[in-house]
Amino acid sequence: MPVTLRQPGWSRASASMVLGLAFSYALSIGARAILGYDPLLDGESVMRIALISVPFFFLVGLGCFSYWFRWASGAPTVPEDHSGHGAKSWKSYFYPNTDHKVIGIQYVVTSFFFMFVGGLLAMLIRAELAAPGRQFVDSNAYNGLFSVHASLLIFLFIIPVFAGLANYVLPLMIGAPDMAFPRLNALSYWLLPVAGTMMMLSFFAPGGSFATGWTAYATLSNTAPLGQEFFTIGVQFAGASSIATALNFLVTIITMRAPGMSFFRMPLLVWANFSTSLLVVIATPFVAASQFFVLLDRSLGFNFFDHGQGGDVLMYQHVFWFYSHPAVYIMMLPGFGIVSEILAVKSRKPVFGYRMMAFSLLAIVALGFTVWAHHMFVSGMQTWIRVPMMVTTAIIAVPTGIKIFSWLATMWKGVLKLDTPMLFTMGFLTMFVLGGISGVMLAMIPLTIHVSDTYFIVAHIHYVLFGGSLFTIFAGVYFWFPKMTGRMYDEKLGKLHFWLTFIFFNATFAPMHVIGVQGMPRRVADYAEQFASWNLVISLAAFGTGISSLVFAYNMVASWRGGPRAESNPWRSLTLEWQVSSPPPIFNFDEIPTVVGGPYEYGVPGAVHGVFGGSPTTAGPGRRGPATTAGAPSA
Amino acid sequence: MDAAVPLAGAHDTHHHGPPEANRSSRVDPQLLGMLLFIISEIMVFAAFFTAYFFIRIVGENEWPARGTELPVLVAGVNTAILLSSSLTLHWAQTSVKNGNRFGLKAGMFTTFLLGATFLLVQVNEYVHIGFSPADHAQGSVFYGLTGLHGAHVFIGLLLLGVVTVRSFRGHFSKEEHRGLEIPGIYWHFVDVMWIVVYTTIYII
Amino acid sequence: MGEERRGSRNSRTVVVEMFVIGTVASLAGIALGSAIEWFPAQASSQAGPIDTLWDVLVICSVPIFVGVVIVVVYAALLFRQRPGEENLDGPPIHGNTTIEIVWTVLPALLLVVLCVYAYVVLLDIEQKPAQAATPEMKIDVYGEQFAWTFKYAGANGKPFTTTQLYLPQDRSVKFDVHSKDVIHDFWVPAFRMKIDAVPGITTAYRVTPTKLGIYPVVCAELCGLGHAYMRQTARVLPTDAFDTWLEKESAEDNPPAGGKPVAGGATGATGGGGSDAAEGDAG
Repeated sequence: MPVTLRQPGWSRASASMVLGLAFSYALSIGARAILGYDPLLDGESVMRIALISVPFFFLVGLGCFSYWFRWASGAPTVPEDHSGHGAKSWKSYFYPNTDHKVIGIQYVVTSFFFMFVGGLLAMLIRAELAAPGRQFVDSNAYNGLFSVHASLLIFLFIIPVFAGLANYVLPLMIGAPDMAFPRLNALSYWLLPVAGTMMMLSFFAPGGSFATGWTAYATLSNTAPLGQEFFTIGVQFAGASSIATALNFLVTIITMRAPGMSFFRMPLLVWANFSTSLLVVIATPFVAASQFFVLLDRSLGFNFFDHGQGGDVLMYQHVFWFYSHPAVYIMMLPGFGIVSEILAVKSRKPVFGYRMMAFSLLAIVALGFTVWAHHMFVSGMQTWIRVPMMVTTAIIAVPTGIKIFSWLATMWKGVLKLDTPMLFTMGFLTMFVLGGISGVMLAMIPLTIHVSDTYFIVAHIHYVLFGGSLFTIFAGVYFWFPKMTGRMYDEKLGKLHFWLTFIFFNATFAPMHVIGVQGMPRRVADYAEQFASWNLVISLAAFGTGISSLVFAYNMVASWRGGPRAESNPWRSLTLEWQVSSPPPIFNFDEIPTVVGGPYEYGVPGAVHGVFGGSPTTAGPGRRGPATTAGAPSA
Repeated sequence: MDAAVPLAGAHDTHHHGPPEANRSSRVDPQLLGMLLFIISEIMVFAAFFTAYFFIRIVGENEWPARGTELPVLVAGVNTAILLSSSLTLHWAQTSVKNGNRFGLKAGMFTTFLLGATFLLVQVNEYVHIGFSPADHAQGSVFYGLTGLHGAHVFIGLLLLGVVTVRSFRGHFSKEEHRGLEIPGIYWHFVDVMWIVVYTTIYII
Repeated sequence: MGEERRGSRNSRTVVVEMFVIGTVASLAGIALGSAIEWFPAQASSQAGPIDTLWDVLVICSVPIFVGVVIVVVYAALLFRQRPGEENLDGPPIHGNTTIEIVWTVLPALLLVVLCVYAYVVLLDIEQKPAQAATPEMKIDVYGEQFAWTFKYAGANGKPFTTTQLYLPQDRSVKFDVHSKDVIHDFWVPAFRMKIDAVPGITTAYRVTPTKLGIYPVVCAELCGLGHAYMRQTARVLPTDAFDTWLEKESAEDNPPAGGKPVAGGATGATGGGGSDAAEGDAG
């Protein structure tokens, strides 16, 4: 056997996938022979087994499990020479790596790739909807477009990109040399391209891609063509990745904080990811189970959702939303963390009401588990569940409101540096409030009876996930770009990106409130004449949003290749990740720093957060009083 | 691109390894990780129990389905078999800590055998139970929950198999027996979960 | 508090100014919110309370949004970093317990009030009308891919099914909604009410049509290929016209309940949509 096939890598992974395919054929034919089915070769069954097994063969071939196999067998493990740690060239990013910084960049770049794919699908959706009647695609393809659009952007963009950003900065922030389980971290990353590729490949499945929405309600999903299983199984891989990362974050945060870093000295981004990870570990298994049910119903003739045999159709929605409502917070809480970091640094003020900020995160986690059925007000479930869910849903706006007001108070009387990250943060504040307000409206059952499953919902979810989550993602990417790449981004292009996005985003999604209340249902390839003019406006604005993302892509690529070198602490931040070089050294710290104060003590004379070997790290000569033009902060 | 090439700066000195991470908690990271993983596992079971709840309680379906019978007694004996495997595993774990190699080997071997027996009895039950998951929702729930648990037993057995072979090859010692501890926690979890499954499916 | 930065203004003037602008902007926003024709025609007695609830929610929401925007914009205008302030820090304000309690309690109170109000509206729109003169009419609605059929009790004990939804004016109608395949959602936007058609269970709601006219019936839950084309019409007729129609339909020999409706019969369906639905049934 050639050496390349024995060593972990892409050659072995490819060969291994062929082997996996052969295994799927063998297992399917063998099982059918034993159970006496005819014919022996069944394409769907082979495909189903292949969807589950080939990814594992791929991961084994790539070497994601090599170390564990050796360790479990008791064979001498490769001594810790850190050969798989840190990137040596751009090629290192295409192999499993144990460095959380490499993994963070892998995560962010991969999820942005999926963002562009999902965005492209959105452009196709809007092209189809630009006028009533059929434009470019038939209704099956259309249903596939919005289903894959939502699934990619939720499971492979928003959730993992936050995990990626946190992967990069969180260990640095708490003064840890790496995550608690670096190999598990590498595996979590490599599950993502697997899941994403699977969802994209569904377009080539016989019968077309999955077309039942990202919610994949039974009984539509367990009678849909084979493409559905690319979602059903793909979500399992994305979910496993989520759970593994969350577990890793929790253990890292609990066991690896620098000396002196008590829970109430942690930056709020760490708090946010702590809360998010709790949600993921507890809730994500439910979406896995809901898809197991669908898979069992489809492949082995189970009757979970067959009412004729005693199954319960609504059970799917209860199980699904028990995950997918907390998932909304999984997609928002890390953004809250990013916003807290940026607002404090860019306003040069401590975060207002730090403890309340931390407690409100935990309150959202707890309340988040008690509101799932507000997605089911018109589902035909037991009517008595509705009112308690309305109350809890409304109450969850209270901790969210605390956060909004505290951020406003953080800005007030500060010294605001209105650069790109700050603009996106302020854009987030205003847009997320709109999304939150329509959310409170949707808690009110009588109104929801009218507007559920309309474009009002589409508007609401995009104000929360685009105006909310995506704005914080952009803010975070710009904010940590110097740290991650060692280069500065182009400020002019960044501001251009913000204003284009802000304007076109509103032009796209604000009118959807109107057509929704007027009675346009969502997920339709065709609509009544009365909605035609608004839809044309929306489509044109959507293309503008699409173009604005190209500005972002150009800025990122060009600045990464040839932007000016970044200082170690260009924002004069106090938190630990800015106290090391940009990008940080391979093991983050020469020695673990000691934390001696809060993370946001801006404006407090002589305040320090972390100390390296006895020398305090201050955020440059920051102070109160008349302005002078002091030199750049010392690194 | 050059993301990991440290720039000339205050911290750019030669490294040969990471600095030792600070231990901010007395809890062992591996143990904590395993516990969190088990919380996740419990939630998977919880979702399947939700299906059970909706189909049996909310849907008011007969339990077990009309004309079928669950072998409570056989499954009860099987429960005893699985529970005793937890005891023998504990014996093996205590033995290795005391340096008793015979106890380790015998304990692991018995544990493995008991676990495999449980799985065989379960498969035998499937063959003779007289209904399939395709017959009715009760069957789906029965096969769903016991099958989910069986899959966990199977994975647990794979882990225990490796541990057993290793203990016969002379691996593990008084000082280093983590390779036995971590699968052990998992196996105990699988056993405890079975008590819940057995109670809800067979007894109530 | 503390010393003021160069260029910053007297804080009391600023607050007054913000308050005035905020009030004006809120009033303008509420005016705009009332000017927009949000809802389709109010064709049922349920529509009124829901539309009023919406107006109340808009009136409560606009000042909150305006307030946040004004604070953000004013912060950007007043406190932005000016040349020469690159190394300046803000005052180290860590919090204020009073104000934090206020912005926890006040929104909570507002939300509780809104919930109570919404609950009252909910009871109102779902209650059975008390009038005894005209007994409530019951219509069974069947959703299937991709059309609705309606089963009437009939004029003289002769039930019939039709794909036409005719309703009498000012008489309460209870829809019992069923599904023959996957989940659908029976929605007449002009009546405001909707409920999923779920296989295996019967769901229901009631409306009292109040306004004569023709209104679209749509499916609001993704149900497969032809979901977008699952559109029909509801006609609200005067009572006597409705009775005439009912007798005529009862007299005709209609297929029994569950008869296959015309898939392409949904209004507004393009030819392509109809053929899609016919050839590519997801089941």
